[in-house]
Amino acid sequence: MLEIDGISKRFGSTVALDGMSLTVRPGELYGFVGANGAGKTTTMRIALGVLAADAGEVRLGGRPLDAASRRRIGYMPEERGLYPRMAVGTQLRYLAELRGRSAAQAREAADRWTERLELAERRGDEVQRLSLGNQQRVQLAAALVAEPDVLVLDEPFSGLDPMAVDVMSEVLRERRDAGAPVVFSSHQLELVERLCDRVGIVRAGRLVAEGAVAELRDASAAEVVVDAPHAPPGWADAVPGVARARAAEGGTVLTLTDASETTLGAVLDAARRTGPVHEFRRRRPTLAEIYRDAVAEEAAA
Amino acid sequence: MSLRPVLLIARREFASRVRGKAFVVGTLVVLVLLGAYAAVLATLASDDDTARVGVTGPAVALTGPLERAAPAQGLTLTVVPEPDVAAGEAAVRAGDLDALVGGDAARPRVFVESEPDAALERTIVAATTAVARDAYLAGRGVDPAALDAAVAESGPVVVAAEAPDPQAGQRLGLGLAGAFLLFFSIQSYGAMVAQGVVEEKASRVVEIVLSSVRPWQLLLGKVLGLGAVGLLQLVVLGGAGLAVAGAAGVLVADVGLVSTLVSVLVWYLLGFALYATVFAAAGSLVSRQEDTQSVLSPVTIFVLLGFVVGFNLLTYDARGTAITVLSLLPPFSPLFMPARIALGVAPVGQVVLAFVLTIAFTAGVLALGGRIYANSVLRTGARVSLREALGRRAPERAGDR
Repeated sequence: MLEIDGISKRFGSTVALDGMSLTVRPGELYGFVGANGAGKTTTMRIALGVLAADAGEVRLGGRPLDAASRRRIGYMPEERGLYPRMAVGTQLRYLAELRGRSAAQAREAADRWTERLELAERRGDEVQRLSLGNQQRVQLAAALVAEPDVLVLDEPFSGLDPMAVDVMSEVLRERRDAGAPVVFSSHQLELVERLCDRVGIVRAGRLVAEGAVAELRDASAAEVVVDAPHAPPGWADAVPGVARARAAEGGTVLTLTDASETTLGAVLDAARRTGPVHEFRRRRPTLAEIYRDAVAEEAAA
Repeated sequence: MSLRPVLLIARREFASRVRGKAFVVGTLVVLVLLGAYAAVLATLASDDDTARVGVTGPAVALTGPLERAAPAQGLTLTVVPEPDVAAGEAAVRAGDLDALVGGDAARPRVFVESEPDAALERTIVAATTAVARDAYLAGRGVDPAALDAAVAESGPVVVAAEAPDPQAGQRLGLGLAGAFLLFFSIQSYGAMVAQGVVEEKASRVVEIVLSSVRPWQLLLGKVLGLGAVGLLQLVVLGGAGLAVAGAAGVLVADVGLVSTLVSVLVWYLLGFALYATVFAAAGSLVSRQEDTQSVLSPVTIFVLLGFVVGFNLLTYDARGTAITVLSLLPPFSPLFMPARIALGVAPVGQVVLAFVLTIAFTAGVLALGGRIYANSVLRTGARVSLREALGRRAPERAGDR
């Protein structure tokens, strides 16, 4: 279990993190979303000990992270980088050994991951001779080659071709299924929605929403879509429990103050009074909408 | 456990440099240059003037005096009788003779291609003087040989308080060569440390590495690895130099030689640790190779100036106050103390003092440089100011979040 507990970080007069807390459980794929500059990268850098926090603590399995336990984390930094003039195989073995693997373990893992990521023929080539896509694969291999117990990946999907996205998703699921806590940040919300068990939305250095995608959907404002073709404009305005109405998705989308039976019943009755009702359904927002709401609410507050 | 990463890093730095073509080619080039330099020096030194002089006519009487006068002028002289002036002048024109001496023995006519060689001219003057003197003495009934014998017996007996050092020249050469090699090695490998730091920053690989090891481990590994490469080159070059000098008979192996070599090695290690840390800290302030020179120049120019001044002081007066002070100041001790030790002009007290001062100074530089390095190495973009780099918590540019 990876726990990030109340970390704060200032850069001069800029507050980068303000009491950031989140927990990634074993066997859980955690998606970390937020705008650029919200604090995702700083959080990850602090978790890896690359930056020091001003306050707060990062724990792995209940114990504060130290140099030894940090080596058990596979890390893919936002700023990609490898030794350009070092051969792929040598480089992966070196990075594995730096994280405490024996020479034999490092060699075996480097061979296995280059095989898996279809880089086997390029093992002897200098990294700078590889295409950008292949360099990304080497970067992923670099995060995995030390057989980490935890994965922390900053924007692992950015710059990947569709094939590599599939391989990456597969690898993340695999590590999750093997019981590792896996956390990654991404701007590709559909991908996060599809892959992640839980999602954390970060804004201005704090977590503003967290939970399984389904939970977040349920927790967000209750909305219904009503398609009543003969209903006049403003038909629902007077119905108790209706906060807002807008025309969308081939009908009227109503935002309700609550999703109780009474309210839903009152709305349905009002719709029927206007004539036939072709559609009446609870609308569940996408992650992108939840994200926009979470970020907008905070901005308004 | 914390030393294994240091060794891994050192091994990588060592392997990536030594395997590179640049190292092998560079070392070979320096070897060839040093060899050529030594060859030039050797020919200059062994060029103790040889000359062939033809004598003809009455000047044949100069044969003996010429041959006796030549050694005093450092000249190896061959005197050849010529049948006549024309034949002799032809031989001079052909380059077979350096000069033709003809005519009266006391006032001979000397024919040369252009200008007479200075030593040859002095030899001829000495020979004609001897001939004139002998003739004058003989005219007054004095035996010139008896006078010569009497003169030869005269002369002072010099008693020195200290026994003269038969190897003073060897020591000076060794000391200067040592100072030069140290300077060369520290400058070039120190700059390599800085380049390596900037390369890691520029390629951003430093973030992955620093998520595995601490900044001091990375810094130490780099310094050790490149220091070992520099040491290897120093040993190769120094060994080749010693072998050449030994083969040429310029160098005599003795206890002094061994202790000089040991002190050069020890001071190299100290000096390298000192300068490499400074270079690494300087390199960590910038993010692009193009900017490296701007932060290294102040350091290299400072060291270069110190080196030039010290080198001149060393050859001028190795016991002088100026070089003594310079060799006691930590940033310069590694360059000049081994030379002064080799020259045998550094009292043990001074050596110990310089050693202790340098160690203390290096420790300070390591602490400070390590801090600058740790604070700056992850920061990309604009050059990091020293004030920020030294701060306990350096502000990071907002875009880095």
